[in-house]
Amino acid sequence: MSGGWFEDIEIGSRRELGAHIFTQDEIIAFAKKYDPQVFHIDPEGAKRSMFGGIIASGWHTAAVWMRLMVDARDKGASALSRGGVSPGFEDMRWLKPVRAGMTLSYSTEVIEKLDLKSRPELGLIKSRNEGRDENGELCFSFIGKGFVPKRPKGETA
Amino acid sequence: MELQHFEDYPVGRIVDCGTYRVGKDEILEFARQFDPQPHHLDEEAGKKSILGGLAASGWHVCAIAMRLFAEGVVLKADNKGGAGAREGRWIKPVRPDTLLRMEAEVVEAKPSQSKPFGFVTFECRIYNEHEQVAMVSMTPIIGRRA
Repeated sequence: MSGGWFEDIEIGSRRELGAHIFTQDEIIAFAKKYDPQVFHIDPEGAKRSMFGGIIASGWHTAAVWMRLMVDARDKGASALSRGGVSPGFEDMRWLKPVRAGMTLSYSTEVIEKLDLKSRPELGLIKSRNEGRDENGELCFSFIGKGFVPKRPKGETA
Repeated sequence: MELQHFEDYPVGRIVDCGTYRVGKDEILEFARQFDPQPHHLDEEAGKKSILGGLAASGWHVCAIAMRLFAEGVVLKADNKGGAGAREGRWIKPVRPDTLLRMEAEVVEAKPSQSKPFGFVTFECRIYNEHEQVAMVSMTPIIGRRA
């Protein structure tokens, strides 16, 4: 990809990342490995739970965001950094249950850029990331952080 | 088994959430599905990255932390889940075949003023085999009062 250096990233730039359908089979497969609560793994038990049916693990909704982010970056999407390593995240919120069969549409928006004293060749980008349902209602959000390389001397793009 | 309640989680209690060995196949499988970046898929690419070698996706480590948190706390407590995580920090890369260990320490416990519940926040610490903290998360749950 060209561009995508720390210097190229603008605060406020926003990008739609695409959508994902959460099938019941996929929800259950993820949760059996990583989040074996009844409303994630057992359709009958889930009906009797406070959610009234199968819902996706919140970590599953986060992992899908990552996949769509990588895909968008690989396609050379503008406004996305060439970074890839992250020190962590903040304020992960699962606001509405993501039920089997639902489609979430994801987005990312740059909200902050920070220089790193300890690593002058890198900058830190903070982003606000969202997943919305078919009605545009917010189901999932978090603040992401990513290390992004600064443009090496002599690079023009 | 009797379920635990809000009162069973005073500030300072540390819950041993057990261990999880993460193999190379699992690291690659998770990365192919959710985080297909070269440093999670390829040894050489990992070495060239700031991770210094092939390492599990941070989201994979979060998923493992959830599994251990479920076994150690969530499935043993009368609770309404948590609906998020205040923060997560990926501190050390997690290499293939690491035996991870997690403990969850109660750092905040506040009863609801109006409902028969309380809010408990755990600092979940995942250690590698060298007893280094690889990941920390701040994870709340809402526990029913006894």
